[in-house]
Amino acid sequence: MFRTKRIIWLLVPALLLYLSFFIYPAIQAIYVSLHDWSGFAKKMKFIGLGNFNELIHDRIYWQTLGNTLMILLVGGVIIFILAFLLTSFFTTGIKGKKFFRAVIFYPNVVAPIALATFWSFLYNPRFGLINSFLKLIHLDILAKTWTGPDIIFWSVLVALIWTYVGFYMIILLSGAEKIPQDLYEVGKIEGANRVQMFFKVTVPLIWDVLTVAVVLWIIESIKLFEFLFAFSGGTQVPQQIWTNAVYMFLLSFGKRTAIFRLGYATSIAVTLLMLVIIFTGIARLVMKRERVEY
Amino acid sequence: MLKRKESTINKEKLNRLNRFWVIIIYTTLMLWIIFSILSLIWIIFTSFKSNREIYAGVWSLPKFFHFENYIKAWNVVNLKRFFLNSVIVTFTSILGLTFLCTPAAYVLSRFNFKGRGFLNNLIIAGMGIPYQLLLIPLYKIFLNIKLVDNLFGLILVYITLSMPFTIYLLSGFIRSLPTELENAAMIDGCSEYGTFWRVIFPLAQPGIIAAAIFNFIFLWNEYMLALVFLPSNSNKTVSLGLYSIQSAMQYTADWAGLFAAVVIVMLPTMLIYFVLSERVMTGITLGAVKG
Repeated sequence: MFRTKRIIWLLVPALLLYLSFFIYPAIQAIYVSLHDWSGFAKKMKFIGLGNFNELIHDRIYWQTLGNTLMILLVGGVIIFILAFLLTSFFTTGIKGKKFFRAVIFYPNVVAPIALATFWSFLYNPRFGLINSFLKLIHLDILAKTWTGPDIIFWSVLVALIWTYVGFYMIILLSGAEKIPQDLYEVGKIEGANRVQMFFKVTVPLIWDVLTVAVVLWIIESIKLFEFLFAFSGGTQVPQQIWTNAVYMFLLSFGKRTAIFRLGYATSIAVTLLMLVIIFTGIARLVMKRERVEY
Repeated sequence: MLKRKESTINKEKLNRLNRFWVIIIYTTLMLWIIFSILSLIWIIFTSFKSNREIYAGVWSLPKFFHFENYIKAWNVVNLKRFFLNSVIVTFTSILGLTFLCTPAAYVLSRFNFKGRGFLNNLIIAGMGIPYQLLLIPLYKIFLNIKLVDNLFGLILVYITLSMPFTIYLLSGFIRSLPTELENAAMIDGCSEYGTFWRVIFPLAQPGIIAAAIFNFIFLWNEYMLALVFLPSNSNKTVSLGLYSIQSAMQYTADWAGLFAAVVIVMLPTMLIYFVLSERVMTGITLGAVKG
């Protein structure tokens, strides 16, 4: 066979880049999070776990953590319920399936900044799409300030759900389409209805794909940033929709006035990584089970 | 499993439940589809309206097509420069990714050597690391090597951060290729490198194209990293350009121009999606299902 020594050189360029611009900064981030560092030109000062201690007492941090978890958990549950509903519908072999699928998936192809622009206009309280539609059908009473502090988080969550359902639906569908049709035939002969077949045949057989999809959502939702950051319509991002990721960005690179609290911001980034590890760990543990073969 | 001998009442109940579910799913699906299609049509129509028309009624159709919205966005806001920047950044990154990751994926998926498992895990770990973690240390490194505010710097960032997924996807694809051709090439006296470039690289084209489509959509739309690594005004990518138009809205109130810019940003990825929708969807979800 080949001499492995020479072939290794095909790996080296990619590996060098990856180690120096991905792994090295990732490790360095943990070092930075232990320092007080208030500007790229300034010196770092070692403060041990000082940043994390400050986080515990930072009211805004807890509020943004709450938002991150709301998106992860509440958003996640709704996204997966809808993705499952759509999957079960598409596996029954309806007409126009390809077209419908493509339409539902489309927000995942569009720049988040473009989606955010559209949704901020949709919710615009003065002449936005929703409120003017309500006026058109004489239901003005239902009109709301959708971007008001009390409901802006939920407005944004709806937009996020609309965006992501298509993605997870496609993943679940790609698993469901591999299930042999005879299993459904058998179910039909046995007299099982659609709901039973879905829970007894489809779900168990796409469990592995579902696990991957859940892990992907955990990672995606924790680092989610662009839509939220752009949704404000250009002014300051309203604090009601700050997540950990947004807060971290505002503390470091900011918008118009950068504060450059680099050490503190990095300690938030470290907690983001911890969230990913904790939640993917939980998900893998909860969803672990024997493989079903077919 | 259900027993065949069920009472008729029970069956009727089941049927009713069945129908109930079908109606719920059907309605959800229809509303969803209608909304999604309308959103697209609405964006396109609004980009052709004049601002006065938009303020008069957001649901009305444009009386005639105001192409000047596009001309303005393209020239005055200098979206054409940003568009060109995006094209350069995206295509160079994809080219770099192809020539760096395909060989790496080949080695990692076909050869046994010490530390292979570790390297594979290191790359998979990269898919779970939030970019936020790298942001500040990476920025500091790029300040030191003077690559901040430089298109090449952003390309380097894009290439490196897209590596985990690209290598993962390509490894999966290369693993599924038969080994006979490689062996034949070797017996015919092809060198290790020759075998890779002349046999594996061409065979891996479908995987390479899937990765390229995925990276194109991701990198074209990306703007957090662009925002950090291209801070000045002259060197923007097109999503950054759209972001600055959006930020200026409170002074300009030019919704028509804004939505023309939205269409310009959406157009390249949507065009690819219209032509290759099945490939885009499988490309994006390929890694997930293989895992």
